[in-house]
Amino acid sequence: MYRYDEFDAAFVQERTAQFSDQVARRLTGDLNEDQFRPLRLMNGLYLQLHAYMLRIAVPYGTMNARQMRMLAHIARTYDRGYGHFTTRQNIQFNWPKLRDVPRILADLASVEMHSIQTSGNCIRNITTDQFAGAAADEIIDPRPVAEILRQWSSLHPEFSYLPRKFKIAMTGATADRAAIRFHDIGLQATTSKLGEIGWQVWVGGGLGRTPMIGKMISGFVPHEHLLAYLESILRVYNRYGRRDNKFKARIKILVHEEGLDSIRQQVEEEFAHLKGGVLTLPQEELDRITRYFAQPDYELVNQTTVDVAREKIVNPPYGRWLERNLNAHRQPGYVSVTISLKPVGGAPGDATDTQMDAIADLAERYSANELRVSHEQNIVLPHVKVTDLPAVYAALVDQGLADGNAGQITDIICCPGLDFCALANARSIPLAQELTRKFQSPERQAEIGDLKIKISGCINACGHHHVGHIGILGVEKKGTELYQITVGGDATENAAIGDILGHGFVADAVPDAIERLVDTYIARRTSADEPFITAYRRLGKEPFKEALYGNA
Amino acid sequence: MLDLALSPIRQHKPDKLRQLGIMSLNGMFDEMDGAGVLRQAVTELLPGDIAIVSSFGADSVVLLHMVAEVDRTLPVYFLETGKHFPETLAYVETLKRHLGLANVIALHPDPSDVARFDAGGDLWETDPDSCCHIRKTEPLDARVSGLGGWVTGRKRFQTAERGVLPHFELTADDRIKVNPLAYFSDADITAYKLKYGLPEHPLYSKGYKSIGCAPCTSVVAEGEDPRAGRWRGLNKKECGIHFDFNGAIAKPMAAQELNLFKDGKFIADPFRPWVEGDDPAAARYTHIPLPVFLDNRDAVLANPHPLGLLVSPGDKVELARGDLDRFVSIAINFPAFTDGRGYSSARLLVERYGYKGELRAVGDVLHDQISHMRRCGITAFVVRHEPTKKALIEGKLATVDIFYQPVGLTEIPLGTRPFLRRRAVENA
Ligand code: SF4
Ligand code: SF4
Repeated sequence: MYRYDEFDAAFVQERTAQFSDQVARRLTGDLNEDQFRPLRLMNGLYLQLHAYMLRIAVPYGTMNARQMRMLAHIARTYDRGYGHFTTRQNIQFNWPKLRDVPRILADLASVEMHSIQTSGNCIRNITTDQFAGAAADEIIDPRPVAEILRQWSSLHPEFSYLPRKFKIAMTGATADRAAIRFHDIGLQATTSKLGEIGWQVWVGGGLGRTPMIGKMISGFVPHEHLLAYLESILRVYNRYGRRDNKFKARIKILVHEEGLDSIRQQVEEEFAHLKGGVLTLPQEELDRITRYFAQPDYELVNQTTVDVAREKIVNPPYGRWLERNLNAHRQPGYVSVTISLKPVGGAPGDATDTQMDAIADLAERYSANELRVSHEQNIVLPHVKVTDLPAVYAALVDQGLADGNAGQITDIICCPGLDFCALANARSIPLAQELTRKFQSPERQAEIGDLKIKISGCINACGHHHVGHIGILGVEKKGTELYQITVGGDATENAAIGDILGHGFVADAVPDAIERLVDTYIARRTSADEPFITAYRRLGKEPFKEALYGNA
Repeated sequence: MLDLALSPIRQHKPDKLRQLGIMSLNGMFDEMDGAGVLRQAVTELLPGDIAIVSSFGADSVVLLHMVAEVDRTLPVYFLETGKHFPETLAYVETLKRHLGLANVIALHPDPSDVARFDAGGDLWETDPDSCCHIRKTEPLDARVSGLGGWVTGRKRFQTAERGVLPHFELTADDRIKVNPLAYFSDADITAYKLKYGLPEHPLYSKGYKSIGCAPCTSVVAEGEDPRAGRWRGLNKKECGIHFDFNGAIAKPMAAQELNLFKDGKFIADPFRPWVEGDDPAAARYTHIPLPVFLDNRDAVLANPHPLGLLVSPGDKVELARGDLDRFVSIAINFPAFTDGRGYSSARLLVERYGYKGELRAVGDVLHDQISHMRRCGITAFVVRHEPTKKALIEGKLATVDIFYQPVGLTEIPLGTRPFLRRRAVENA
């Protein structure tokens, strides 16, 4: 993976020093809160319901063991012994003190990490496929380009005060595991007619108050011009994106109001000026960065498959884990392992300091010192030998991290909600916990199969509820917390926004309502092989609406 | 002698008929008949109500010769700033003798001002605008601001903007500017001097082409063509330009709080904010809002005075791209520091349209945005926020001085390694 050179190290150090100075000025009052806010936000520091929250970037979700140990150290030393992995492939700490933040940032810098641009109206941390560089279905490993984009977007002087935050997601695989159609810009690796690999560019996707599916603005941009093309989009957005209304400030609104063709024309005009200029990416540079992401030294192993069926009989929990939590690897004899942060009754995405240390050990010993954070709020060991799986599993069991539920109904994505977030309308974590308890039986989960539930505590949609097969949104009506249920969302290449089927439910009624949806699906599916989302597309809203509200 | 103190205060009331009357004078004189123009002004137009100001510089002798031809007893004001070359002072005496000028009046700065603001005599170095203000503007203003007009030595060939200079002009505040040398080229000046055997300034033969105060002239004289660069450095290098006493009685400096940070220090700002209702044809030392400029393009281009352009969020700088040279300064307005449109405007102006004048940030200009602004090509900052001022003065701006992306003209050229990266150039 990428390693800082002197330049990167100096950059992060200077930035840390700068923010320390800003914190000092805030503490003396030279900066008022209005002036401090955008600065702290650009360093990932939020003011939440109870305390500051620090969000740390995990660039494109990639980490090594040393970095994970540092996160454990921070959780232990400055927080309450845990951290929360988010849908942005980041980690958040919920209880840091302002005066400690410079020290935390210095600690992070020592392991080549930072919190730059994890918030604020700037280009945010770039996200990608959690199996990047390992997945069997990959056209190219997107991480070298993601790293280049990280550098290009870091403290970009022109784009640090955009109308609104700006999120870029990319995937190098054919299956979209990075939800690129729901980002301000989505990049999909593709091959041109001439066989050259480049990028399909999608623009104007997003969730939140006005969910929209991104539209393709360019079918092919070669690597060398990608930065110029992105700078063109950003410039058009910076100049013409709406600033009069915070809720209409994302690029999706600009694209929607002006029309894709008009935006494309403006971008092309800008691109005509910038193309071939200083932003042209030299092949040597791409090669140089790519070398950082060289494949690990794989061993040639005899055993390349596991007999999951047999293991399910011998040791059912292990068998289920094998069945759910492995992803096909490009190298025979290897797999990517998903470590579920969704134990029954737990807060989705949370990990304790001890768990983080243990995960770091596993990465070091079994996964070429690499880790990933997935936007589904799990951790991935990308390169695990099939023969090491029993050992890995045993270690996970010790840490309470061995749930074999990846992609199942209890693998819930969930935002922090009213327990932490100042913007929330409703609790989300307790609801997720309740649902995992309700559906905890492994047999029941297996029967249901692939089903993604996503919960947001408010319309900002940090929990991606719009793209959950079943989405749950906290709303507030006359002082009571209600939950709006949507069905049929999909974050993948078959992008869809979930349908609202009717009125909201009080918290207590939600688990039963979900159960009715599930039962309807099971009753109506063609076979156990037809997943929930496919059945929903085939059957349409009606049966599910009836399940929720009866046919009154 | 006329008692200047009793001159009536003039009303600011541009009068169309009067304007037409003045303009019609412009056809009356032969292009080269400077003396005729001068005579008309001092005897018919504004008898006893007009000032002649001379710098006694390299070219001044031509106008002074005409004065002597018309009336040797006319008052000629000379700004005795206390900073002149001894050669200049000697030249004043030479010309008085040679031309028989009987009424040269030296205007001295108020000693209490000097004691208060320039006790060390080095104000010109730290804050030339203020130095000029106490040594030129104030003394002259006190004597001539109530008069109905003044005589200038401006020549239309001096700069492109003066290409349309007439003999007589009416100012926005209803005063008359008289330009007897309006049609003179440099060659005409030289020929005139030769024809009448006029004495040269002693420093002229030593290569000084434009001679003002000693400390400031040395800087100016080094360039090949001093006038070409006159408005370029605006606040520092070219002393005396705000008070162009060959030209207008300018009063560019408002209440002198030093808010303009440029070239590493705070200096007085020669510009004042544009005010709704200002006349685009006659405004000076102000930044004309881009939309106003677009609506009054011809008038602004014909306006002979130093002007700036104000670019606010939402303004399209590309609409003025062909006229940018007209402006000695462009102000990028950041009404709120969270509004980042100005960064794009700045980059377009500098990188795409090649603007080379002063680019300044105005509005909500704060500590933590300044390094971004600099990278986007902004070189001057109008700062009101005290902690930000303090940080700038003390050189304690918290910045990140290494960059990941090529932005601006001084960044790494294409193809050089390492890609995308550079360290900040020393940015004063
Ligand atoms: S979705 Fe709303 S409640 Fe949840 S974290 Fe985001 S802003 Fe907070
Ligand atoms: S020209 Fe120079 S020395 Fe003379 S008044 Fe102006 S600043 Fe002072």
